[in-house]
Amino acid sequence: MAAVSTRRLQKELADIKNHGTPTGITLLKADDFETWYLTLEVLGESLYKGEVFALKFRFEPGYPISSPAVQFVVDDKFRAPLHPHVYSNGHICASILGTEWSPVLSVISVCITLQSMLASCKDKKRPPDNDRYVAHAPENPKKTQFVYHDDEV
Amino acid sequence: MKVTVKSWHAIAQWRWDTGSNSTEDEEGDVCGICRVAFEGCCPSCKVPGDDCPLIWGECSHVFHMHCLLKWIGTAASKQQCPMDRRPWATAERKVNK
Repeated sequence: MAAVSTRRLQKELADIKNHGTPTGITLLKADDFETWYLTLEVLGESLYKGEVFALKFRFEPGYPISSPAVQFVVDDKFRAPLHPHVYSNGHICASILGTEWSPVLSVISVCITLQSMLASCKDKKRPPDNDRYVAHAPENPKKTQFVYHDDEV
Repeated sequence: MKVTVKSWHAIAQWRWDTGSNSTEDEEGDVCGICRVAFEGCCPSCKVPGDDCPLIWGECSHVFHMHCLLKWIGTAASKQQCPMDRRPWATAERKVNK
């Protein structure tokens, strides 16, 4: 029998194909039910005007009971946004991706949350512990126990 | 004209009484966890009905019982309702009529 994640992701994919994605979010690649890529940009006035980012989602068979591993893509085409909660390797410190994950969330709702996280940013800078974190970071951001500094930024 | 009924087929439809009056609202009648209709079954089951029932929270949120229990069984859930993060308390099933 197909993994629970496959059934749920088939529903999410059908929903995206039938109803489209919210403004500023596009589906880049969803060839299987293990890894998806989406692009994200903040429309309107923000510190990220004109910048396009890519998000990588990795799903375990237990998704959505288990949270997806979500990070910004850092390659020759995309950069991680300069943000106090985003490390230069693309890892994101956001409570909904960790301790505050809920199985009623979805790929699109995570994208919307991250979009608004960027939209409300007032100071484009890296987290204070960026260099130390990036030097020792695990490949999968789910293996990091992030300490959530605040809910505002 | 005289009609003789030679055979007939009875057709019945059932749905869970979720307490919501909407019969047309297709979006609202899915389990928030698996996104399958309440009248369908959770991803672990093959047959809908009494073997894959719904569970009601005191917060008024409804899920497939198996989906909710799978979530509540994880440490990550902190035993909270996935919708409102309030401590999950199973409600006595409310029947309208």
